[in-house]
Amino acid sequence: MAKILIVDDEEGIRMLYTMELQDEGYEVITLPDGKDLLNVVDTEQPDCVVLDIKMREYNGLDLLQQLRKKYYDLPVILNSAYSSFKIDLKAVAADYYVVKSSDLSELKDKLKVALEAQIPE
Amino acid sequence: MKNREENPHGVTQADIIVGIPSCNEASSIPFPTRQADKGLVKYYSDRTAVIINCDNNSPDDTRQAFMQTSTSTPKIYLSTGDGVQGKGNNLLMLFQKAVELSAQAILVVDADVTSITPLWVHNLIEPLFEDYEFVAPLYVRHKYDGPFTSNLIYPLTRALYGRRVRQPIGGDVGFSGRVAGMYLESPYWDEDVGGFGINIWMTTTAIRNKIPVIQSFMGRPRVHRVRDTPTSMDSMFKAVTGTLFELMCRFDTFWKEVKWSRPTAVFGFGAGDVEMAPPVEIDMSVLWNKMMEGVHAHWDFYGQLLNDENRLKLEEVSGLPQDSFEFPTGLWAKIVYDFGVAYKRRDLPRDRLLESLLPLYYAKTLSFVLETKDMNSQQVEEYIEDQCLQFEKTKPYLLNRWFAS
Repeated sequence: MAKILIVDDEEGIRMLYTMELQDEGYEVITLPDGKDLLNVVDTEQPDCVVLDIKMREYNGLDLLQQLRKKYYDLPVILNSAYSSFKIDLKAVAADYYVVKSSDLSELKDKLKVALEAQIPE
Repeated sequence: MKNREENPHGVTQADIIVGIPSCNEASSIPFPTRQADKGLVKYYSDRTAVIINCDNNSPDDTRQAFMQTSTSTPKIYLSTGDGVQGKGNNLLMLFQKAVELSAQAILVVDADVTSITPLWVHNLIEPLFEDYEFVAPLYVRHKYDGPFTSNLIYPLTRALYGRRVRQPIGGDVGFSGRVAGMYLESPYWDEDVGGFGINIWMTTTAIRNKIPVIQSFMGRPRVHRVRDTPTSMDSMFKAVTGTLFELMCRFDTFWKEVKWSRPTAVFGFGAGDVEMAPPVEIDMSVLWNKMMEGVHAHWDFYGQLLNDENRLKLEEVSGLPQDSFEFPTGLWAKIVYDFGVAYKRRDLPRDRLLESLLPLYYAKTLSFVLETKDMNSQQVEEYIEDQCLQFEKTKPYLLNRWFAS
């Protein structure tokens, strides 16, 4: 069972994603901000991170840069209510960019693809 | 005739090398040489460095223009033997010299680039002193700058090897000394790699060998002498696609295991004000005429290499009027894959095969221009992203045909 880490400062989003993704068969863990992100990734070893961009005290794009330095190939999906961050060059380092919606089908599709992606060792 | 070397400073070791390949660039080479020197002095004064011109014994005396350019950094001049030309052959001398000088970081800058700044030197070298060993450039580009990359090279390379390097044939790149050694040991080197095929060869070889790759943001467009005259476009197209297909044959046990694609990290944020790219005009009637002439000339030949269904759809597409012309990306991807499979079979004349892909590339470019004419650069990037996903989704078609043949 793939383990997904959701990082989002909105509790409602964390609850919705947890329910929906658990229904899809994923194990889900959540973080309300980026404070302990690297530690949690170290200890929990998620298979994919779904990362909000505009959080109260953290910028998901900066967190993505920190993640990429240590985890070159950890799948990361940026998830934001805003599409405007797509033009930020830092977003290129994400596997996919999904604009938030009450319909999670695009997020689920991208999650599936991100988890299937493989480059042989 | 053997290669020639002039090393007036007697350089025997260098942490950093800036290599400038050239052929008849006497009028243009002083500028990148001075900019490279400024970058080395500004950012790497604590390291040993050398600037190397890798030339083809240019009759216009590029050597003198280079050696007489005033720099703080020592310089070396290398030349291929008489009659040997091509960027790849120039860089082959650079790889050898990099190993000889025990260089840690090598930067290649084309001699005709007029937009290089000292910051480029930093951005293409600095990741090599961190965790990366190959640095691809990420220039600011107008939406119609580089349609060859956007419509063919990037989607195909990404679908095959699974690593997203947006400008895999960018002329200015950085790589480590270890990678220079790896290039030297590569068993595959031919005339195309010795020429325009060198950039796709370097990028693909790095990805295939699991070298940590990063893209570096240059903060401005790449301005250089225009090379897309019909003749140079033909030879460049054939050398690059020929190299790409040859690599496809050699690395098929690798790419058959690749699924979807993974991003590549980006270096170089905070490059200051980003300079906008100048507009690029594409003459659609030229594309249309080249497509129609080429498709007509090669129609029977296509019958020998395209899947029947794809040939029928191509017939349908080529019957569309110019103002509403559209070449669906799914069909384009399958046709490109058909060409790859035909290349692998090696039962058709190689030059004719590559030549016959060119009008179809013009057709795809025409369709791309028509579909994106009202889009801004960001929307076009999203369009290209969608094209890439279609190449990735269509990859099972390639796998079936490639490994059945």
